[in-house]
Amino acid sequence: MELIPILNAVINGTVLGTLLSLPILAITMVFGISRFPNAATGDYMTLGAYTAVATQAWIGSSLVLAVVSASVVTALIAVFFYLWVFRALAKRSNVARLIASLGVAFVVRTTITFFAGQDQYNLEMGRIMRAWNWHGIRILPMDVYILLTAIGALGIAFVILHATPLGRRMRAVADNPDLAAASGIRSRRVMLYLWLLSGFFCGLGGVLLAIKAVVVPELGFELLMPMFAAVILGGIGNPIGAVVGSLIFGISQEIATLYVGPSYKIVIAFLVLLVLLLFRPQGLFGRPIMAR
Amino acid sequence: MKTQQPKNTSRRDFLSVGLVLAGASLAPWSLRAAPAGQPFRLGALNSITGVGGPYGVPMLEAIRLAVDEVNAAGGAAGRQLQLFAEDDQTKPDAAVLAAKKLIEVNQVQAVVGIWPSSVGLAVMPITNNAGLIMMNTCGAPEMLTENRKGLAWMFQASNAVFGRAFAEVARQRGFKRPAVMAFNNSTFVGLANYFKETWEKDGGKVSSMVIYEPNQTTYRTELNRVLATNPDVIAMGSYRPDATILLREWYQTGQDCKFIMPGWTANEALVKALGKEVTEGIISISNVAASGNPAYKSFSERFRAKVKHEPDVFAAQSYDMVIALALAIEAAGPTADIAAINGQVKAVTRHGGEKISSFAQGRDLIRAGKAVDYDGASSNLEFGAHGETVPDFGVSEIENGKLVLKETVPGTR
Repeated sequence: MELIPILNAVINGTVLGTLLSLPILAITMVFGISRFPNAATGDYMTLGAYTAVATQAWIGSSLVLAVVSASVVTALIAVFFYLWVFRALAKRSNVARLIASLGVAFVVRTTITFFAGQDQYNLEMGRIMRAWNWHGIRILPMDVYILLTAIGALGIAFVILHATPLGRRMRAVADNPDLAAASGIRSRRVMLYLWLLSGFFCGLGGVLLAIKAVVVPELGFELLMPMFAAVILGGIGNPIGAVVGSLIFGISQEIATLYVGPSYKIVIAFLVLLVLLLFRPQGLFGRPIMAR
Repeated sequence: MKTQQPKNTSRRDFLSVGLVLAGASLAPWSLRAAPAGQPFRLGALNSITGVGGPYGVPMLEAIRLAVDEVNAAGGAAGRQLQLFAEDDQTKPDAAVLAAKKLIEVNQVQAVVGIWPSSVGLAVMPITNNAGLIMMNTCGAPEMLTENRKGLAWMFQASNAVFGRAFAEVARQRGFKRPAVMAFNNSTFVGLANYFKETWEKDGGKVSSMVIYEPNQTTYRTELNRVLATNPDVIAMGSYRPDATILLREWYQTGQDCKFIMPGWTANEALVKALGKEVTEGIISISNVAASGNPAYKSFSERFRAKVKHEPDVFAAQSYDMVIALALAIEAAGPTADIAAINGQVKAVTRHGGEKISSFAQGRDLIRAGKAVDYDGASSNLEFGAHGETVPDFGVSEIENGKLVLKETVPGTR
């Protein structure tokens, strides 16, 4: 196979991987601090996409406005579900919270389909732009914007986690909730910020995905399994691992499409996961005992 | 133990009631066949909600129109048609529940109006077991092989025929290097395979064939693989959501290429999703109603008066289902059971009889002892060995955002 198709596949995989690292980061943060895999993540993304569609329909056709409102509304809904569901289950086993999050996922999706129906929606983006073609290597202007937005959001996330008092408190609660409480950290407030951030990233990931694809009720839910896999690949609870895991997963899928039939691309991605886990059972950046 | 006791009896109750119900549903229909003069109970199972909603609602209207026509003419063999309508939500699981309700509660004797193949394939075992006539617009080739009792009637061309039609249109238009892309399900893989088979039979070569996975957010790499072989046309078996992504990504590449797509995907809704520039020149192939037939003219006039727009081919097919069924009831006589009525469906539509275009016309000829051939609103209704019809194909092109009919290719039978 020549170099150019591979480069195109790598570019495509990078954009998709960076975009998906937003919700994957949300999953890994919730897992690290609240200690359960949040199965509602996919449907929070769907919610973001539909919020963007609704914003364009009722408020204004600006894409930037749609992206902002999608992220903010999803963040608020995520906080709402924390206050309503997950806070009450804080002392229960993580299986109880996982099941509850599946319930939240269904509630979100069926509420959307109740009002919006099953048919597809599309975000208005003005004219569809042609790709920049550089000796056969194609780069889409829209992909560049998506990539920059995602990288910007990731940058903000890492600044919050590692350079602010809030991030320090979050990491402290993740490390040892009892010790954190004994040191005077109010875990309630940390949880509120956690869900606000997590919802924000899910909503943003959802609307960026909607720009690339079409808005259908299963938009996010279909991605849940690959996203969980990327979290495991990167090391559960590790934010950098989430980004790297997502990139490896995205790029290996796209390159696999060139060599095996597209029907098997997800198989190859999981094969990469399997082989990596054979050598590093704790994931790429995970520690044998999670200490973040 | 104390709490165990009542549970056991209720379980026993449940079991016995369940067994009675199951037994009742297994009982052959002849045992419950209505005596003369009793109404004929007709079930309409339409996709009112879900993806099929835009088609199912007009289909039900068309069924109602046909039922009214038959009842106004005094019923079929003196029996009034009594309509029971259910929504299958375009989902096989919901459809199974709805079909069971129609059969067990409403005790219908025929189910008409089934739209998607997934529902058709899920419901057919149930109607077959109950010995019911089932009329549908499904296109999966499996519908024909599963139709073991001959009780199912397909009013829409099978996807095998669609695949061949795609290839023939591509050849007529002078394309040389077609590629094939298809959504990975039985319907579209079938279409893709038949396209390839037909194209290669005459020595042609398909530049590449890619079966893609459903529910992906990007198809760029799949598309690049196809475009790398420089096809001049891509025969694409897709639904609207994946077609939207694929066509947008194709347009972004800037590579020149034409598309042939099924009409239920390439239509004005697709233009709305993508804009006029991207969809310009897409060739859209679909079954079209037999607009030259008198039955179509009379039906479409009544349909327009009621629904305020032109009927699509599925609505015309639904109308024909009821009229053909009513003619079969008429021909079988007032005391006939379902098997006897089913045996008449082919007889009242077969070529060679006197051409008719309405129920009343057919009824009079049947009473006079003559053979009739109902040429319907959707097609001339000539059923094959497996209960299939081949309606005419319309070849349209999208020009400036509008679907423009270019030619009509007659059905092969």
